[in-house]
Amino acid sequence: MTGLSESTSANRPAARAGSSATIPVPGEKRVFMTGNEVVAWAAIAARADIMYGYPITPQNEVMHYWTRLAPKFGKEFLQTEDELAAGFTTIGGVLAGKKAFTATAGPGNILMQEPASMAEMMRLPVVVVIMQRGGPSTATVIYSQQEVILTTFGGNGEGFRIVYSTSGLQELYDYTIKAFNTAWRYRFPVFVLADGYQAKMREPLTIYDPLARGMELVPPEQYVGRPGMPGVDRPPGHYRNTYNTEEELYEILQGHVQEYERVAPEIMEHESLETEDADLLIIAHGVVGRAAKQAVEQLREEGLKVGCFRPVTLRPLSAGALRDAVSRAKRILVVESAYGQLGKLVRDALCGLVVEMFSLYKPGVGVTPEEVVIRSKELIA
Amino acid sequence: MRVIRIVEAYVGEYASGKSEVAINRALELVRTGKPVTLVDLDLVEPCYTLRPIKKELMAQGIKVLAWETRGTVGFGETGNILRAEIPWALKRPGHIVFDVGYGVGGARTLELVAGIDREPSFQVLAVINTRRPMTGTVADIVEYVRNLAPVHGLINNTHLGDETPADAVQEGARTVSEAGRRLGIPVVATTVVAEVADSIGPVDCEHNPVRVLRRYMPRAFW
Repeated sequence: MTGLSESTSANRPAARAGSSATIPVPGEKRVFMTGNEVVAWAAIAARADIMYGYPITPQNEVMHYWTRLAPKFGKEFLQTEDELAAGFTTIGGVLAGKKAFTATAGPGNILMQEPASMAEMMRLPVVVVIMQRGGPSTATVIYSQQEVILTTFGGNGEGFRIVYSTSGLQELYDYTIKAFNTAWRYRFPVFVLADGYQAKMREPLTIYDPLARGMELVPPEQYVGRPGMPGVDRPPGHYRNTYNTEEELYEILQGHVQEYERVAPEIMEHESLETEDADLLIIAHGVVGRAAKQAVEQLREEGLKVGCFRPVTLRPLSAGALRDAVSRAKRILVVESAYGQLGKLVRDALCGLVVEMFSLYKPGVGVTPEEVVIRSKELIA
Repeated sequence: MRVIRIVEAYVGEYASGKSEVAINRALELVRTGKPVTLVDLDLVEPCYTLRPIKKELMAQGIKVLAWETRGTVGFGETGNILRAEIPWALKRPGHIVFDVGYGVGGARTLELVAGIDREPSFQVLAVINTRRPMTGTVADIVEYVRNLAPVHGLINNTHLGDETPADAVQEGARTVSEAGRRLGIPVVATTVVAEVADSIGPVDCEHNPVRVLRRYMPRAFW
């Protein structure tokens, strides 16, 4: 399913003037939505200015809804010729001082890695929403968690980026708003990593105006075209992704490393459930984390000491908190809809600890609470 | 008096509940003893279609014109091709219910059905959930339904999934009824799951008849 199906003005810039509505969500409202819509509404609520995009299932309705909402709120949209262009035009929007974002999936995410690397190199606050689909290659349009390594460490570089993995539609709303703040506060590219299930599923959530809740919205800034004489009134804006010598690059990257390490503790987020006395610790992220939590609740009702650790930021990963939780457990069980991608991140974070590690890997397929319960009981018995 | 058969098409916003309402309508009609055909005319959104529950509905006596998932293997992303029997659905006897894809694109698909412009009792019904933000206010609904034209009636299908309070349904009834008055078309029914229907009764606060829904669509993904 590609292309735009209704009421979209794909190549026509949305009306800038004449938009009357400035408050995207007056007050708070309990609503029934799909995940793709949620992203579009959240971006409006975050006061994003423009979306650049190229269609790919399962993220198409992010674009559909953005283009339906854009004229009402004075926002803009550009459909590009592919995801490379969508990523680079998002960079262009950011350089011009716009809160710009794009959304993609699967093979589109692969193409998005070149502009994402550029954004890393130039410290540009682009926001990218990923709805993971099956892989490798075109595979399925439906669902997976197989874009974890790609999204956390894709591109030629060091993974100087922030990746939020959401587990449902309320989080998708909250973290899409947060992604713009994190991007503009820290000036690293930010990914909201969801999946085809979250994109298409329907559930109730509360949408709100973040300003009405007293939340701060970090304002964007122009990188280029600022007032004043460069070098006289202000430092010249020289944003580079190319360096002449190894030493020059090394020096710049040392700055990136230090800055990333410095801000990482402020950014890291995780959720833990019943980890204090857990003999078995289940580690899962995103929508699978939801299944894991339900499994823990059921296992606890049966008196079994099982807990769950769910990283919300996959990059930077809350390694310290994870190590604490794991050090109290006898065994860990990594559950994901991929063949060991979260597993890789977890092993890296746990390096040096001694613990028995088990897995429930279902690449490209959903994981139910029942499956997690069965696997957990095998490991506890 | 000759009883005219019922021919209804359910249109509306993405995820407004068109399929659920259409399925339940077909089941209601089949209990009258007449033949009922339910037509899956959703060419817009390949995820939520009648395919996975086709056999279950057939077992309840409805003739279902829809693909089965195994029949679509190999279509790839284009996975939606009109079944050859669908354009001729109106040649069939009895009541006909169309489950149409979302939005304007979906509503236009009805043009593919032979004889639909000459069907005397043909009704296009727009399914509205006022908790869907694009159709959350009277003004939004009026604008949306005008784009879908022609629409003969509205269905208030306001809900919040498993968390639906009765007052949300009643609030939806007031909003949809006001939109209907402005559009000059009736609200045909308020649709609501059994758990909530009990506290509302046979009619909603706007005196629209209440149709009780049984939910089939949570099982109907691909």
